[in-house]
Amino acid sequence: MSDTSTKPTAGEDILGRVEEMQRGLDGTYRDEIVEAIYQDAEAITRKVVRTDESASYPWDQKLDRIVTSKIWGLPFMALLLGVVFWITISGANVPSSLLAEGLFWLGARGVELFEAMGMPWWVTGFIWHGVYRGLAWVIAVMLPPMAIFFPIFTILEDLGYLPRVAFNVDALFKKAGAHGKQALTMSMGLGCNAAGVVACRVIDSPRERLIAILTNNFMPCNGRWPTLIILATLFVAAAFPPAFAAMAAAGSLVLIVLIGAATTLLVSAVLSRSFLRGEASSFTLELPPYRRPSILRVLYTSLIDRTIFVLWRAVVMAVPAGGVIWLLSNIHAGGQSLTVWVSQWLEPVGRAIGLDGVILLAYIIAIPANEIVVPTIIMAYTGAGMMIELDTMAELQHLLVDQQGWTLLTAVCLMLFSLLHNPCSTTMWTVYRETRSVKWTVVSGLMPLAIAFLLLFIVAQTAYWVMGLMGW
Amino acid sequence: MTGIIVLILASVLFVPQYGLFWRFRRRRWLHSRQAVEDALAHLHQFQHDGHPASVESLSNTLGTSMKHTLVLVNRMAQMDLVVVTGQGMRLTAAGHRWALQIVRAHRLFERYLADETSVPREEIHARAHRLEHTVTEAQVDKMDADMGHPAFDPQGDPIPNAAGDMKEIDSQKLVDWPAGVPALIVHIEDEPPEVYAQIIAEDLHPGMVITILDMSPVRLVIGTPDAEHVLAPVVAANVSVREAPGEIVEPAGVQLTTLKHGETGRVVGLAPACQGLTRRRFQDLGLTPGARVERVMQSAFSDPTAYRVRNTMIALRREQSDLIRIEKTPRKEQEFDA
Repeated sequence: MSDTSTKPTAGEDILGRVEEMQRGLDGTYRDEIVEAIYQDAEAITRKVVRTDESASYPWDQKLDRIVTSKIWGLPFMALLLGVVFWITISGANVPSSLLAEGLFWLGARGVELFEAMGMPWWVTGFIWHGVYRGLAWVIAVMLPPMAIFFPIFTILEDLGYLPRVAFNVDALFKKAGAHGKQALTMSMGLGCNAAGVVACRVIDSPRERLIAILTNNFMPCNGRWPTLIILATLFVAAAFPPAFAAMAAAGSLVLIVLIGAATTLLVSAVLSRSFLRGEASSFTLELPPYRRPSILRVLYTSLIDRTIFVLWRAVVMAVPAGGVIWLLSNIHAGGQSLTVWVSQWLEPVGRAIGLDGVILLAYIIAIPANEIVVPTIIMAYTGAGMMIELDTMAELQHLLVDQQGWTLLTAVCLMLFSLLHNPCSTTMWTVYRETRSVKWTVVSGLMPLAIAFLLLFIVAQTAYWVMGLMGW
Repeated sequence: MTGIIVLILASVLFVPQYGLFWRFRRRRWLHSRQAVEDALAHLHQFQHDGHPASVESLSNTLGTSMKHTLVLVNRMAQMDLVVVTGQGMRLTAAGHRWALQIVRAHRLFERYLADETSVPREEIHARAHRLEHTVTEAQVDKMDADMGHPAFDPQGDPIPNAAGDMKEIDSQKLVDWPAGVPALIVHIEDEPPEVYAQIIAEDLHPGMVITILDMSPVRLVIGTPDAEHVLAPVVAANVSVREAPGEIVEPAGVQLTTLKHGETGRVVGLAPACQGLTRRRFQDLGLTPGARVERVMQSAFSDPTAYRVRNTMIALRREQSDLIRIEKTPRKEQEFDA
């Protein structure tokens, strides 16, 4: 078979002999090489490294005994999650409203400038009331919580706690045919699903990685928190004294996250028994020693790598969304705006799942960025020509409950929809980037949507039926 | 009305076999690199096994109609890849060279997928089959060099080198092997997939040492140090073995799972069933013979368990720690051991 017409050079001759000898080796020579390397390394360390065995790990071990204990491990996790939410929510309030005020003030100056220049009203409206306002909204709502959540998250990561979380809950993921490190990608998803999807790279088995990518959306990212928090405040925290309102909001958020985690596990289990059938692959997880987080690295990773990166993608997506919102509410046909037409058309679908047409419309418009759901809903309800926010919770309650007839059922359905519905376009684009597959990108979008519609339909119809029985 | 039109249109396009869409797909496939390469691989396989390939055998393997297969064969003859003779088809020198390149790419991809990814064993063949048509010869050379010129794919098939040489191994079918004599598995045939799946289910790998315990026309009972397996003779015919070299390679000791809280031990070796990425990962973590392991803690749900290996804490699921064999350190020696 081989071509022997040319005489081999010395180099080729050696390579040929190497190849020949290699073929004589059996499969275990790789093992022997690794063993030899470790033996050498051991011999060297024994000579030059001195360790004080008696002083090592006592502190680590005590802490580990608590955070991985059968009794305290999981409650500690939930409590920590609650605290992180509470810090993020209460810390982001003030900077968010300051940012909003500042950016809207700038927007007002922009409008004045355009008017002074004599621009047509629709140019001013499209640019400043549409595109700019959408942009300002996304930044004001998204930036402060992310700038708080991501550093806390990175500190926990740097501290060495996150691998312990994966260690604690791996048994659940194993049952679902998934990988324990999915817990890490899920916690990342709480900050931003796009970042969570990128984080799935830590899972090396392609099947389990795909499961983690497809289900990451069931962790509510902080673009969805505002909606959840407003609902929790209006319908849950209202029952608590004001001093505990933030805590009650954080508590209900923890509950929502737990529902999301349960959904993630359930969907992972179904996927790994159907379309992504397969055995759980090998699992090795390094549990590094606890160490003091390095502040500079925390700031860099969390602010530059995560916050700015995510914010930039969101901004790119929010610009067209702001324009579309403005066009929909300012183009009139037959005496009413397109917003009204579309929401009327969507009304029966919305009613069937316990929501209404306006809410569905808001979610369609908010595909690029979920932050704008609530302002869009308010805009459509009040018939304003641009996204607005109401100044107080009392006003909001008046609008939603008294005028639009929202009930506890609406609130529950909306919370579930917000948790389960399709990921934002940034996340879907990221899914495409990570999987390089149109098929899985489409699945990642349609599967949660189908689940949300099905579950809400069951919840709403059951509720209507029960209410009918009770004669309400 | 519109419904009916849509239905008719859809059936014209998508009726299996005859729909325009499928016709178009077949036509495109016929002109693709993959069609030529699959045909070359088939011809090479037949020639290698010593029986001549025919248009019939080719159309069977490729799953195409005779008409399309003839078109393909004519095209390949024009490309000077095959010669059609009275006995059937024969590869030309160029065809042979190309065929070996495909075999090489396929087996290198299989080796890569088995060692570097955790793609399940039963998917490796299909994935490698897709990938083999996407690379150039230079890329295959580079892959070969990067992987350290592996000589065998994970099933034990020899991988040809750049010149096309490959090492043939002497082996016998397991069904022909005498009972009671230890045998080393050297090759497992991965086609047809149904039979291969049964071999995977029994967790048999090249490199394992087995002994036939009992043999009858309907079944073979074979023993490995860990378990007994029952195979149908048709399945066993796809396993090739040769004489086991020297002593038993199976590491002694007990499974790491048996280590109790606070106990320490030393690694004796990894079970032969531990292959591919898992084996490599374990070795990277320093789970080599002589390494000291200590069981440190269990997770909230009892599994996984964390072990301290070479001063690093590593969590392993039960399935993984079963693959690691250790020797327990008696209590009184533990102090000196540290």
